[in-house]
Amino acid sequence: MSDAPERWSNQQVALVDLIDRVIGGGVVITGDIVLSVADVDLVYLGLRLVLAPAHEVDQSVALGRRSA
Amino acid sequence: MILLYAVVPPDATAPEVGGLGGHRLETIRAGLAAVIVEECAERPVPTAGESRRFAKIICDLAMATPMLPIRFPTVLPTSSAVLAELQAHEARWQRRLIELDGLSEVVIRAQGADSNHELDAASRRSGTSYLMSRAAALRQRDACVAEISELVRGWAQEIKVLPSQQGIRIACLVANADMRQLRDAVLGWQQAGDDRQVVVGGPWPPFSFVVDGEAESA
Repeated sequence: MSDAPERWSNQQVALVDLIDRVIGGGVVITGDIVLSVADVDLVYLGLRLVLAPAHEVDQSVALGRRSA
Repeated sequence: MILLYAVVPPDATAPEVGGLGGHRLETIRAGLAAVIVEECAERPVPTAGESRRFAKIICDLAMATPMLPIRFPTVLPTSSAVLAELQAHEARWQRRLIELDGLSEVVIRAQGADSNHELDAASRRSGTSYLMSRAAALRQRDACVAEISELVRGWAQEIKVLPSQQGIRIACLVANADMRQLRDAVLGWQQAGDDRQVVVGGPWPPFSFVVDGEAESA
């Protein structure tokens, strides 16, 4: 096996970065939702849905552990 | 359920592009901005494939109109919920749409060829050796960020350093007319050093710059 570092394929890297930006960038909407069963409103939730790439979540979890 | 794609100017019309769910995209308008949406039966799952399809639709939309992409997958229960959200933010979104007109995002990835190998080798020797190598790698990383930031300063209107596990990632907001010069400058920087790997991704819609710096830090 070669010891040479793995070279990036430009196209693959750019695609990964684009997908990362699609789910990690962009306008974040703060939404509210009412859950209903048989037209009866049951629960009112204030939602702030944020999806982040795994490495950002990893960093947040690590920081949380350190400060705990 | 309504899947949200992008904030656009109030007079923009959704082009004849199918959405992720196969339905035609629609435009919900307020006085200062509009949102391009698609009615869908279920919340899309953000798999790599679906994210890629969403990205393709967003990039197609961006060819037709200035826009602020909305993070995928954002859904709201009804059109009236979308309108309420739009009315709550339209002034800020309109301002940012004007600021970003004619600008696109590129992401520059750069890495010294053997920085990870040095760390791996150091981790096999001793803890002190590893920590010293790690500190050196961080200094090298900071120097690389500063060098590239300086390099693109003439063309990038805004710069953001993005999180990265490998090497560095810098998002730049660049005028479409300046894209080629920035790319050439970065590739020239790569050729000036033996061990440099650089990838310039984009141009894309301004995913990393939908909020201006001041609002983001507030």
